[in-house]
This record gives sequence, structure tokens and C-alpha cells, in this order.
Amino acid sequence: MKAFKYLSPKSVEEAIAFHGRHSETSRFIGGGTDVIVKLKEGWMEPDFLISLKKIKEMGELSKNNATGELSIGAMVTHATLEKSIMIQKEYPIIYDAVSNIGSLQVRNVGTIGGNLINAVPSADGAIPLIALDGVALLHGPDGERSASVKDLFIKPYKTILKPGEILKKITIPPQEPYTGSAYIKFGRRAAMELPLVGIGVLLTLDHARKICKKARICLGVAAPVPMRAFDAEKFLAGKEINEETLVKAGRIAADESKVRDSVRGKAWHRKEMIRVQVKRMGQKCLELIRNNN
Amino acid sequence: MNELKSDLSVVGKRIPKLDASLKAMGRAEYIQDIKLPGMVYGKILYSSYAHANIIKIDTSKAVALPGVHAVLTGEDIPGKMKMGFYKDNPPIKKGKVCSFRDEVAAVAAKSPEIARKALSLIEIEYEELEGIFDPEKAMKKDSPLVHEKNKTNILKLPWKLHYGDVEKAGEKAAFTVEDRFSTTWVTHCCLGTSGAVALFDANDNLTIYTNTQIPSLAQKDFLEALKAMGLENKRARVIKPVIGGGFGSKLDTYAYEHIAILLAHKCRKPVKLTFDRQEEFKATSTRQPAIIDIRQGCDKNGKLLFRDIKMILDNGAYTSWGATTPSVMMMPVTSLYRVKNVRYSAKCVYTNNTYSQAMRGYGNPQATFAIESSMDMLAEKAGIDPIEFRRINRNHPGDVTPQKFKITTCGLDLCLDTVEKELKENNIKQKGVGIGIASLIHVGGGARIYKSDGCGAILKMDDYGKVDIFTGGTDMGQGLDNITAQIVAEELGLFAEDINVVHTDTDVCPWDVGAHASRSTFVAGNAALGAAKKVKEKLLEFGSKILDADPGDLVLRDRLIFVPGDNEKKMAIDKLLRKAHFSPGGTMLMADFFYDPDNENLGKEFKGNMSMTYTFGVHGVRVKVDVETGKVEVLEYVAAHDVGRAINPLLLEGQVYGGVVMGLGYALTEEVVHKKGKNMNANFRDYKLFTAKDAIKIKAPVLETPDKDGPFGAKGIGEPGCVPTAPAIANAIYDAVGVRIYDLPITPEKVLAALKEKNN
Ligand SMILES: Cc1cc2nc3c(=O)[nH]c(=O)nc-3n(C[C@H](O)[C@H](O)[C@H](O)COP(=O)(O)OP(=O)(O)OC[C@H]3O[C@@H](n4cnc5c(N)ncnc54)[C@H](O)[C@@H]3O)c2cc1C
Repeated sequence: MKAFKYLSPKSVEEAIAFHGRHSETSRFIGGGTDVIVKLKEGWMEPDFLISLKKIKEMGELSKNNATGELSIGAMVTHATLEKSIMIQKEYPIIYDAVSNIGSLQVRNVGTIGGNLINAVPSADGAIPLIALDGVALLHGPDGERSASVKDLFIKPYKTILKPGEILKKITIPPQEPYTGSAYIKFGRRAAMELPLVGIGVLLTLDHARKICKKARICLGVAAPVPMRAFDAEKFLAGKEINEETLVKAGRIAADESKVRDSVRGKAWHRKEMIRVQVKRMGQKCLELIRNNN
Repeated sequence: MNELKSDLSVVGKRIPKLDASLKAMGRAEYIQDIKLPGMVYGKILYSSYAHANIIKIDTSKAVALPGVHAVLTGEDIPGKMKMGFYKDNPPIKKGKVCSFRDEVAAVAAKSPEIARKALSLIEIEYEELEGIFDPEKAMKKDSPLVHEKNKTNILKLPWKLHYGDVEKAGEKAAFTVEDRFSTTWVTHCCLGTSGAVALFDANDNLTIYTNTQIPSLAQKDFLEALKAMGLENKRARVIKPVIGGGFGSKLDTYAYEHIAILLAHKCRKPVKLTFDRQEEFKATSTRQPAIIDIRQGCDKNGKLLFRDIKMILDNGAYTSWGATTPSVMMMPVTSLYRVKNVRYSAKCVYTNNTYSQAMRGYGNPQATFAIESSMDMLAEKAGIDPIEFRRINRNHPGDVTPQKFKITTCGLDLCLDTVEKELKENNIKQKGVGIGIASLIHVGGGARIYKSDGCGAILKMDDYGKVDIFTGGTDMGQGLDNITAQIVAEELGLFAEDINVVHTDTDVCPWDVGAHASRSTFVAGNAALGAAKKVKEKLLEFGSKILDADPGDLVLRDRLIFVPGDNEKKMAIDKLLRKAHFSPGGTMLMADFFYDPDNENLGKEFKGNMSMTYTFGVHGVRVKVDVETGKVEVLEYVAAHDVGRAINPLLLEGQVYGGVVMGLGYALTEEVVHKKGKNMNANFRDYKLFTAKDAIKIKAPVLETPDKDGPFGAKGIGEPGCVPTAPAIANAIYDAVGVRIYDLPITPEKVLAALKEKNN
């Protein structure tokens, strides 16, 4: 591993300024669970690591009770999310995803921001944030801008972030009543596992809890970047949610996925799992909606 | 048969591992922790092709790099320096490479970073050759040859036997099944990666620190290496640091050890060569993949009439002990259950894949997967309950099997009963849930594979009631130090912590054939017991003089020597030792003992009583199959073994738990993925070793059937835990959802594909 300098700025502005001085040779580091692996393997050889750990506002998790908006600082760890009662109760899809990342040790240091910016097709944290219509707040040398989480990813390991740009936080708009959400990582092991496919479903029903007002079906490892199954979502909108419609939505989602064969698993099986798990997650959403009201 | 003595004070106790605190505190010294003055770092360059001619190697840039002390290529390797059981493997290859893990160059440098940099400066020109990766194709006449001079890819090995008359028995069978099973590469996954530190003294005597399971045989290999280097009549001292897992992986000597020796000799400095995790996955050996054709038949009452098995084993490009596993596969083939007519043959075939090696069970898990899956299929065909079917055919104490194994104690019936009771209790038939069992036989009293199956021990007592015992037996994490200490402490009336077990250094420890074949508790245990008995006799003799008592009335226990019931005749053992030492004509208590069991090498037609006793076991499992995903969940696991006697039940259970979890990985998740000879998952992310979260609760009933030859009645239990796991799971899956999986590992993909096929 090549030697590097470790910097700990206390504000976003300071971090951006540091980066500006050595833009070619510096990298941001969150929890480091991806960065350190890459340093050790020699895939990345920066002279400076700019840690975002000391930037207080980036580590905050809060909900604005007046507006219902949730704000997740990019440096919030998976463990913080996992242990939050508010997340467990109100955003089960986030809980489902982060509580099964890596191992206890990885969750204790790995951050949600790092998970997004690392931009792998299997990022467990990305799927729920897309399903929840999350918005990423970016801050760079040219100031602030925002983008929906769904649009962050260009290709594996590449996001829309410009050099020196920092992901500050993710905001989640208020959830409508009669909403349920669930995520499953389908893999072969119970821990330290990348998903063969990751499936997140969010459903909002009408007040009679029958007809679908909004559907989000989000897939990991189904394409080069996390994707939404728009056809399946469109199919469900306005329909009564039941076994039959969920089975059909699963089939549509599987068909629009762009799964591939790899060392880890065969495309046909991934497709099958999307089909089955979209249905199952849909059913879980229904249960949550019914139990909550 | 030994009576179960209940008055034992140390043997039979759940004493935690004596080195547990050292390991928990990070104080145990592994090969990675060894640092010697002036030490430099070795690194190996591997082939870029599975099969290629080496046209040119240019090392000049590496040699010129500051900090580099030595560079080696195949040209620097003495012609006679060959490794492995077939001696077909030079530590660095010359002229041609036959697999991706072929060593093509090595360097020693001031730091690991410089060594790595030097490797990147070595320029090699290859001419790629057509590779062969499928053993069945490799057997064909027109196949590319891995080693041209052999003119065939099939190794000349004698694995073939036929007892009775399989054809005739086949005609009489009321029911017959015939199927093909297959298994793939899995690897040991020792948490402590491989490595060695080699150095020479001024007189060219070698010392090598290496985490080996075979210190004495490794010493022999290294002496041969020295001879090949022109260093005749030199000494080779093998020192073992703490070993972070063996499981068979360290039953041979390897290129990294030989290269460390060559580099150390070239640069006259200690050379350390350790593997990182990726290298551990790519450059250490696997369990050998097997293609198994099996045919079995029984009469209308379910009595087994014949068993007929043909195997093809992927040997890889070179030959280590993996090629000899058929000698152990023969054991379940000929002797698991009573079957008179048996035919077996195995072909080991060179390919351009990685070469295989011994791994816990030594072929037995592959053979048992086929046999025990087939047993269930035959039971179904005959309309007999699978457990009942096994009961009908079970082995009995006193049996002599067709291979001339003499079954002494045999708790197979007890194991079947125990597992059946556990599984059938609250067995409410649910959709997608099923049960399965599988049995095992394994050597439990040594295994005479080599010319000697012996182990030596030297024991001395000091003036303070403490013992040092120098044993040939190797503790590689399995806990042999505890077993040795408990046996000696029991015999000498001491506590386990009074016994210091030294097993680390060939300069002071006697010979032992190695930590393999589940033999250490039995063989090294008997060696320790033999030495302790000699010292005990002296203690009693001396005690009888001092205490004026009959030696036969004296008891050694709790650090005391005494006549029970007589308060006058009692003395602390340490005091007695001092009296013995510090009297005119004084004496120190010491003894040595070499135990070589009375077992036999496999002789003509592979017949012979290979082991003094055999361990039996039955594993039972309840699984739940998700029919929409193909995922198998293990709900309950019972692993019952006939262990002779548990010297330490805590460690014994640990062996069983570890074995079962290893077996579960073999059954369900583990697989080294090779693509045209290239390892595609050389990391723990993609090599699906069970994690702590995957591990399940295991019941491990310890059934004691004290064996007359074992130390305090013990039999070996090191390997059995991973032997019948895969077929038990496969049988349970069949019971649950009616599909039979023939190929390991049983992934959700395979289960789902089979379910789809069945429903179409
Ligand atoms: C053993 C192990 C198991 C794992 N298991 C899983 C798993 O199950 N599921 C899963 O999804 N992932 C898993 N990961 C990957 C990793 O832990 C997660 O992606 C984690 O969330 C990354 O966060 P981090 O803070 O550690 O990122 P870092 O390593 O610090 O950074 C990752 C990347 O993001 C950049 N970055 C970080 N924060 C910011 C920011 N705020 N703004 C701009 N750029 C930023 C860095 O420059 C870097 O390129 C695992 C990793 C390991 C080592």
C-alpha cells in the first residue's frame, strides 16, 4: 500500500478547498470500507485522503416533524440507521437493507454516502433510497446542487459527482399514508454477502387500502446500475393489489431487468428471483400497511 | 473392551484449550509473526497462462532493482529437486507451464514492497498452448497432453479392486440403482495463511520455520532438497510456529518452502515467504473433484448384494497426496455397511487445473456422497424406510469386511437409533420440510499409509511436580496438546496444566508420521500414555520405598501419592520427586516411548487391516426447501459418533461442530470457481465459506464404545464430522421436495432447476 497523508477537515467548505489544492491526487474517505480495500489492492493510490468524519452536519440523522421530511447525512453509518427506532418503524425498507450489509464491524464504520458514491450495482443502500424517491444534496467547488438518488449512477464505480464534489446528505420526502416498503437481499450466505439480486418494493394504497396509488420497484444487480422497474410500477398503478397483480408485476419486472450471467450466479436464476421476490416484497408491503392502520 | 472407568480425574473432563488465552489475546506466534535479524522477504511470480511454453525470461531489471537480494527462475532449480508424491513438480518451472499456479520466478528483497515491484519487472514471453480442463476429455486419445513425456494424461496408479463377483450378484438383485454423482473443488480456508522462514547457518545446515502437519516427513523432503542442491550430510531442522488451521492442506511440502530454502541459500540471509489471502486461494491445493458412477443392488428383503463404483478424479497439473485419496475412498466403498461383492476403480487424470491435495476426510466425503445418496435411492426402490434399510445392512462388532478391515467396536446401531429418535421426535410433516440421514466409517485407530504409523514421545519430570513431554504429534489447532496433557496428567496423578507439551521442533521431538487420518489422539495419545506409564511405574516404585507401602496399593491423584484410607501414607508428588533427586544415588524421572500401532499396510488387492479400529457415525438433518427460490435452510442437525471414549468432550464436540460446518459448506455453498483453469473467486467474498451467522445449532451426541486399543478407550474423531454431511442434506432435500441433486454444491440454482424439470 502506498503511503498517504490523512486530512480531517471540520467543514464541507474546508474539505472542498483541500481537494481543490490537490485535485488529481486526493480522495474523499467516509468509513473507508471500500477505499481501504482499494488502497490495499493497489487500485487507488492517492497522496491525500480527505476524511469527512469530522464534519458534524454530515453525520446527522433527523426527521422534520413539521414537514415529514427525513434527512440522512452522508456520513451516517449503516449501524446508526439500523439501530434507529424511527427508521425501523417508519422506513422498514431502509432497515431491511442496512441491517444486512456485510458484518457488524462493516456496518459500524461503513456510511450510506460511501455506499452510494462507490456506485456498485450491488449497493444495498441505494435501492431503498431510490424507492423512497430520495434526493441527494451535492456540494462542490461550484456550489450546491441536488439530484434524485436514482439519477446518481452512470455506470459501475461512476456517479454524476464532479471532481471535488461531496455528497452532503440525502433527503426523503414525506411519506403518504397507507404506504408500506420492504427490501430483500437475495444471496447464498447470511452475512458478508453481496446480493445476487436486491429487491426493494414500496406501495402506497388508497384509503380503502386496496387500490395502488404509487408503486416503486427497485432492483440491484439487475443492470449495470441500480434500476427502477418502470413497466412493473406502471402496471400496478391504479390496480387492486392482490396475489394475481403482484405475480404479474414480478414477471414484468423480471422481463425488464437486464440481468447477466456471472461467476456469482446465472442470469435465469436472477430473473426468477426478481419474479418471486417482487411478489413477496409486495406482499410484505401489504402486510405492513394493514398492520399499521 | 475397556470398562468405562468413572474414577478418572482429568481424562473425560471439559478442559478448555490450554492455549486459548494466548490466542484470544493475540499472543500466539504464527508464521507471520516470525522475525529474524537480517531477514529478507521472498515472493513468487506465477504463470499468466494455464498451458504455455516459456520462450524467454528476462530478469535483468529485477536483478538491478535496489533492495533485491536474489532472483530465481526455473534455470536455477537443481534438476533433482521435485515435490509431491509422484515427484513430478519442480518448485519453479522451466520450459513450460501447466497451470495458472505454476511458479515461474521468485525474488528475495529487503521489503515485501520491493519484492513485489521486482516481480513486476520480470519479463516473460510465452507461447500459449491448448489447455485441457475436463478430466473426461483429458482421457481421450487426441487430448492435449499436460506432460508430453507420459504420452497420456492418465496417471499410472493401481486403484482397482474386485472382491466377490459383482456381475453375478447383480443378476440376483431384486432392486438395482445406477447413477452418476459429481463433486467440485473446495479448499481448506485456513485462517492462518501459508508461509515459511528459511535460514542456513555458517555450515550450511538448514533451519526452516513452517506451518506443517508433517514435521518429520517434511524434514525428509528438505533433506532431499539439500541433497539436490549439493548439500550432502547436512542437517534440516523443522520448527513449527502456531498453526492457524491445517485440515490436510499442510500434509505435503510445497514450492514456497523449497523456494524459501533456495533463496535463503542464495542470499545467505533468512528468507520469509508468506501468502496473502488471494495467493492462499490460488496457490494452495484443493480437495479433488470427482465424477462417480455408482451401481448398487439389494435382494427383496433389502440386504445389499453388491456395490460397483468407478471414479474419475481431476488431478490437476501435478501430483500431491490428492492422487492417493482412492486408497481411503476404498474404505467406505468396501466397508460402509455389509456388502460382499464390491468392485472399485479410480482414474486420476492430469488437467491444466490446480492440483489437489489431502483435505479432511481424504476422499471419504466424495465417496460417501455417492454411496449414501445411492443408499437412499435403493431403499426407496425396495420400498424400505431409509433408516431401516441401513439398519438391515449395518456393520457389527467383530465383522471382517471384504477389504479385511477388522471391526472391533462399532456403534453404528447406537448412532442410527439416536439420530432417528432425535429426528422423528416432533416430526410433523410440513410442506417443503424433510429429513435425511447418512452414515460414515472412518479410520479411528491410526492408518498405515506410510511404512510406519508410529509416533514417539519423551517425558521428563522436574523437581516441582511438573512434566515436559516432547511429542512427535502435531497440534495444529485441533487440540492435541490438551489430549496429550490430559492423558499424561491422568496417568501421573497431576493436573492438565502441570503438563507442558512440546511439539514444535524436530531437534527435540521424536518422529511422527504426521497429523493426518484422525490418528493423533489414538497414536500420539498412546505414545504419551506409554511414556507416562513407564514414569508412573518408577514413581510408584520409589513411593513404595518412601511410604513403606505396596506399589499396588498406591494411588496417584490430585498431585498426591497415597494409599487410600491411610492418612499416614500420603505425600505430595513434587516432594517425592525431590526426594528421588536429592538423595545419594539420586535419580530424575524420565522415559521415552515409541508407539507404532499393530495395523497393516494395504497389501495384495488392497486388503489389510489399515487401522486398529474404525469410527462410525450417523448424521441426520431436517431441511426446509423454498420451492420458489431453491434455497435450502437447515432446521436441525444431529451428528452422532461412536467415539470410543471422549478424552475431552468439549474438544470432541468442537471437532464435530467444525466438521459439520465444513461439511455444510461442501454440501451447500463452497466452490472454487475455475474458468479454463483460472481461479475466479480467490477471496472470501465470492468463496462462500459459512459465516458465523450461517452456522446452525448442532446436536453432537457423544456415544462411548471404549476401544481396547485406544488410549483410555479413545478412537479418532478429527475428520468424521465433515464426511456424511452432503449426502444427509441431499437425502433430506429429496424427502422434502422430491428432487435429487447429484452435483455439489447444492446451490439454489440447482435445486430450482431440478424442481422446474420435475414439474414439467
Ligand atoms: C467485508 C465487507 C462487506 C461489505 N458488505 C457490503 C454489503 O453487504 N452491501 C453493500 O452494499 N456494501 C458492502 N460493502 C461495501 C461497503 O462497506 C459499503 O459500500 C459502505 O457503505 C461504503 O461506505 P464507506 O463509508 O466505508 O465508503 P468509503 O470506502 O469511505 O468510500 C467509498 C467511495 O465513496 C467516496 N465517498 C465516500 N463518502 C463520500 C461523500 N460523502 N461524498 C463524496 N464521495 C464520497 C469515496 O471517495 C470512495 O470512492 C462491504 C465492504 C466490506 C469490506
